[in-house]
Amino acid sequence: ADSFDARLDKAIGCYHASIQELIVIDDLLSALVGIEGRYISIKRVRGKEDTVAFQVDPSMGLTLQESAKRIFPLCESYLLINQFVESRSLSKHGLVNHAFAAALRALLLDYQALVAQLEHQFRLGRLSVQGLWFYCQPMMGSMQALSIVIRKVSANNFIGSTVLNLLQSQAKAMAGDHVVRSLLEKMIQCANAAYLRILERWVYEGVIDDPYGEFFISENKSLQKESLAQDYDAKYWQQRYSLKDDVPSFLATAAETILTTGKYLNVMRECGHNIQVPVAENSKLTSVGSNHHHLECIKAAYDYASGELLNLIKEKYDLMAKLRSIKHYLLLDQGDFLVHFMDIAREELSKKPDDISAEKLQSLLDLALRTTAAAADPCHEDLACCVEKTTLLKRLNTLKDLEISQTVSDSNELEEQLSITGLETFSLSYKVQWPLSLVISRKALTRYQLIFRFLFHCKHVNRQLCAAWQMHQGVRRLDMQGIAISVSSLLCRSMLRFINSLVHYLTFEVLEPNWHVMHNRLQTAKSIDEVIEYHEFFLEKCLRECLLLSPVLLKKVERLKLLCLRYAAAIQRLITSSVDIPTGIVSNGSLETEKYKRLKLRSRSQTLKLAPENASVIESILKFERDFSAELQSLGPILSNSSRAEPYLTHLAQWILGVGKDQ
Amino acid sequence: REENEVSEEALVRDVLYACQGIDGNYVKFDEKADGYMLPELVKVSRATHVMVRKLCELGWLFRKVKGYISESMERFPAEDVGTVGQAFCAALQDELSEYYKLLAVLEGQAMNPIPLVSESATSGNYLSLRRLSVWFAEPMVKMRLMAVLVDSCKTLKGGAMAGAIHMQAQHGDPLVKQFMKRLLRRVCSPLFEMVRSWVLEGELEDIFAEFFVLSQPVKAESLWREGYSLHSAMLPSFISSSLAQRILRTGKSINFLRVCCEDRGWADAAAEAATAAGTTTGRGNLGYGETDALESLVAEAAKRIDKHLLDVMYNRYKFKEHCLAIKRYLLLGQGDFVQYLMDIVGPELSEPANTISSFKLAGLLESAIRSSNAQYDDPDVLDGLRVKMMPHNTGDRGWDVFSLEYDARVPLNTVFTESVMARYLRIFNFLWKLRRVEHALIGAWKTMKPNSVTSRFLDKLPNAVKLQLVLTSRRCQVLWDEMNHFVTNLQYYIMFEVLEISWSNFLKEMEIAKDLDDLLLAHEKYLCSIVEKSLLGERSQTLNTTLFVLFDLILRFRSHADRLYEGIHELQSRSTETSLSSRDKTKSRANKNDKLSEPGLWLGEGRKALTQRAGEFLRNIGKDLDAIANEYTSVFDGFISQLPVQQHIDLKFLMFRLDFTEFYSHLQSKTGTKLLP
Repeated sequence: ADSFDARLDKAIGCYHASIQELIVIDDLLSALVGIEGRYISIKRVRGKEDTVAFQVDPSMGLTLQESAKRIFPLCESYLLINQFVESRSLSKHGLVNHAFAAALRALLLDYQALVAQLEHQFRLGRLSVQGLWFYCQPMMGSMQALSIVIRKVSANNFIGSTVLNLLQSQAKAMAGDHVVRSLLEKMIQCANAAYLRILERWVYEGVIDDPYGEFFISENKSLQKESLAQDYDAKYWQQRYSLKDDVPSFLATAAETILTTGKYLNVMRECGHNIQVPVAENSKLTSVGSNHHHLECIKAAYDYASGELLNLIKEKYDLMAKLRSIKHYLLLDQGDFLVHFMDIAREELSKKPDDISAEKLQSLLDLALRTTAAAADPCHEDLACCVEKTTLLKRLNTLKDLEISQTVSDSNELEEQLSITGLETFSLSYKVQWPLSLVISRKALTRYQLIFRFLFHCKHVNRQLCAAWQMHQGVRRLDMQGIAISVSSLLCRSMLRFINSLVHYLTFEVLEPNWHVMHNRLQTAKSIDEVIEYHEFFLEKCLRECLLLSPVLLKKVERLKLLCLRYAAAIQRLITSSVDIPTGIVSNGSLETEKYKRLKLRSRSQTLKLAPENASVIESILKFERDFSAELQSLGPILSNSSRAEPYLTHLAQWILGVGKDQ
Repeated sequence: REENEVSEEALVRDVLYACQGIDGNYVKFDEKADGYMLPELVKVSRATHVMVRKLCELGWLFRKVKGYISESMERFPAEDVGTVGQAFCAALQDELSEYYKLLAVLEGQAMNPIPLVSESATSGNYLSLRRLSVWFAEPMVKMRLMAVLVDSCKTLKGGAMAGAIHMQAQHGDPLVKQFMKRLLRRVCSPLFEMVRSWVLEGELEDIFAEFFVLSQPVKAESLWREGYSLHSAMLPSFISSSLAQRILRTGKSINFLRVCCEDRGWADAAAEAATAAGTTTGRGNLGYGETDALESLVAEAAKRIDKHLLDVMYNRYKFKEHCLAIKRYLLLGQGDFVQYLMDIVGPELSEPANTISSFKLAGLLESAIRSSNAQYDDPDVLDGLRVKMMPHNTGDRGWDVFSLEYDARVPLNTVFTESVMARYLRIFNFLWKLRRVEHALIGAWKTMKPNSVTSRFLDKLPNAVKLQLVLTSRRCQVLWDEMNHFVTNLQYYIMFEVLEISWSNFLKEMEIAKDLDDLLLAHEKYLCSIVEKSLLGERSQTLNTTLFVLFDLILRFRSHADRLYEGIHELQSRSTETSLSSRDKTKSRANKNDKLSEPGLWLGEGRKALTQRAGEFLRNIGKDLDAIANEYTSVFDGFISQLPVQQHIDLKFLMFRLDFTEFYSHLQSKTGTKLLP
């Protein structure tokens, strides 16, 4: 600039005032488009690109100086905006900035046209400084407002939705100035258009078409859909697509809906269905107005996507059949296969968990499935068996996310049972394919398994007691042992009653009604999220009502079952060893093995004195009875205490203890 | 105003010229500053200087774009600018002519003076520099964009160029977006045309190597595997890689049909696909931005052409039948044929390898086919069956070099390539050896069986010899039983657990195969599962060698057993002879010519010597049998103990069958690790 200055031989002060005014107007016209004139120069502050200052030659007439200075803010705004437009049009700043810059450019074009008009007036000799000032007035306010916004955007390097939010809030802040507000709204409209295009692809196609990372939904590609079927804590459904922090304010209320819409569309795409939401031309998501048209469009897209997905899962993948089949096997809804399985797998299951061959169990299970009514179920091939390593109580403790109601007072009491067998740890698992694994996830399946293990063990206890009962029937008529047998058979009956009531409670009071409630609710569910919710609610409720969430009660029940098992084992041993001759006669070939035992035992037992033996038998039976009734009675207070909070316990008490029935 | 100042009118005209890349009177291109400048000497105000420089940026951009266009045009026929490059140049040229039109209008305006209202004003021109800057605002944006494109595409061509332009098109400015879309439609049209003709006609009209499919000249049999490949550098980013794969495969299928199958039916399928996709088979109906249309076209074409290809493979070239034939003959699935072949080829194969004539073997194969159910098979299939002699070393027997091969013709040799056939050969050799061992054991059984009725003969022997004889033959029987148990179960395992299961899986996968790649994959899986499960894979090499040691042991056992029973037979006939000899010595003496039955030897020694010789013979044989039994048990023990180590395949059933009575596991637990009797 020095070379120019050097040629300025005359300071402006040398000219006559009217000439001075002409020169100043010419210079001002240049300054308005950011160009230095003869006597107006631009000072840039080093280090700060967005602050410039215009200066006038000090020799200028004071009035002229003042009137020129009045116009400088406009020139500064122009420079700033122009610079912003140039820099933000580069691709790295994102689509919203591009669109915003484009809108600003259009505005600047108008501004330049105005300057050209003024020049024309000037050439015609009709423009004074005062006139210039007047013509600039309408531009002053808007340019000023824009430059404030721009300063903020470039200072914080905003991109994407933050720009939109800033514009939005500025428009609200300047609501008083009608012109500025409408200008800002125009800018918002333009900037939104770019953003809405991204939104549109997501909401209508489920595609994130977001080259510069501006959209408020992000995809976590590391979460695979396969994890749903394998991982207990799978986060796929919750976190595969997630909301970022910077949601544009006009979409804030609909953000969740938008997220789920795209999620549903993506599920369908993963299933190989290319779904596109059909949109009428007039209801496209092109603009955001105050009439909330865009929210209606989003809602429509959501309804479509959710309906379509629900249809797909219910009709094509037949969720209900799958659930029903799971109920058959895991909730023991269809018993014949289980009875058959328990018959053939008894030997294998009574081994220690480490010795059990899973293959053998699997083949036995297959055998049981194929020879019973379960073969009619098309899903029966998905069933597999697995043997876990820990007891049910321990397993429950490891699952932290279950809301165990009463915390266990002394964890030491949970000592591993010494003789833990496959019967305690056996459970079934079920192969679930995508997309059904959304509903029947690993987590849901684990809960089914917990219930199954509990039921399975109850059934086992029941069978053992039944066997003991049969044995009693064999020797009853003989009545050789005096009261031992009748005492024992009384105890056996009350134990049977207990376990039968328990099983009845679990199946008919808990599982069946809850399942039917869930079934009905699933029929009316509107979206897959609701389906998932209902299903989880069902499982949660079943777990709770099956006592699996209250360790105190569960432990009591376990102890009772253990007593029953011990009793059954002991009484079988006692009867076969001491009552060998009668059993041989009575069973009359019905128990083949007994004959064999009889042959071996006869000689020994004949030498034994019957009376002391009988007394000790009675003694031990009475001990069992005492223990059992003590345990059972101790259940009473616990049940009645907590039945206020959990009403289902009343049912249980009614069934097990006979409370409220005998009266 | 100063008098020596250049008039604005002249400057405007100069700027207009400069913006077309022409030096004006004052505004000239300055090489040093790399831009159009108003020389310092020209006396104009500072503002005008800046203004002119700013306006002339357009000229600088124009020079750049124009330079690129003319450079490309010049190179065009000689060097490979490529069709996409040409389209790009043409599109740019069109944009420039729009720009020329604007300049012409402006120049016309520059000539007109301002319509003056009053005479008093002197000043001149309607088109001032400031006005010009308003006019130039939009062309400036476009020209900048073009310059950026020119810069980024200078060294690129073909699909890569289209991809680069596509990357630039991701812009939020509606003006830019529209401009880029227009440009891209033209730039991509040659590319899309290539896709279309490739997918529907299988033609690769790609002189300049711009397309993302590359072809290599290869033989017909490897056309499918190696003939075409994706050129990832030329794959524009708006075509996803999965779509590109489908495009590649569809065209490849057409070419495969055309070259290997000599089929014409694909044209109908392609036409059908085109109508289904809603476009005609004519040119230029696809464009940038219509990825959906492209995708549906490709999907339709792929579906139909792949289906057609599979139909041709299945129906015309009888792929399934050939696979079955390979299973029946090479994998020894046709039992009667194999049995017969083994019977008639056996004696020939016991000869040293270099004396065997393959013509004779071919003849024997022919007769085996004729006399078994194989004769009813399709003659096409039987034609493919050949005898193959493998290269042999000195000392090899015929057994070691004999094999069958199956000659697959085009197009089936795409599936049955040489390497695949080599693997089949390996499997065949293994199965053949197994069969041979089984055959040998059956042969041994045949010689052992008649001896069970010689109790009458036994009575005549002295007690010591009798006991020894019974013991030895019993040991032999037990060992035979053990070996037979092993071979039978292994045979069962290979035949039913490996071959049949793999085959049924293969059939299932064949049913659901959608294209040739699926089919190839299914076949590969089939072959792989056979190789792995029959312990021929890399990971079970030790097991495999153990198995072959076992086989050799069994073969050795057979020769020993033969020797034993020959000896017993001899003994029997001798003893009957000695008993006879008392009655009719002279007659029997005349008939003997055997070494053992040297007339002088037996004659003089009589009964006692006979007993002694028999005892010695039996002792020797017994020793040999013991040695074999020991070796067999130790090797077999190794085999059994290695079975569970093979984690990658399911050998449980083999183990289960071999150790059905838990005999071996009991033995193992009893003796610790060693399994010696």
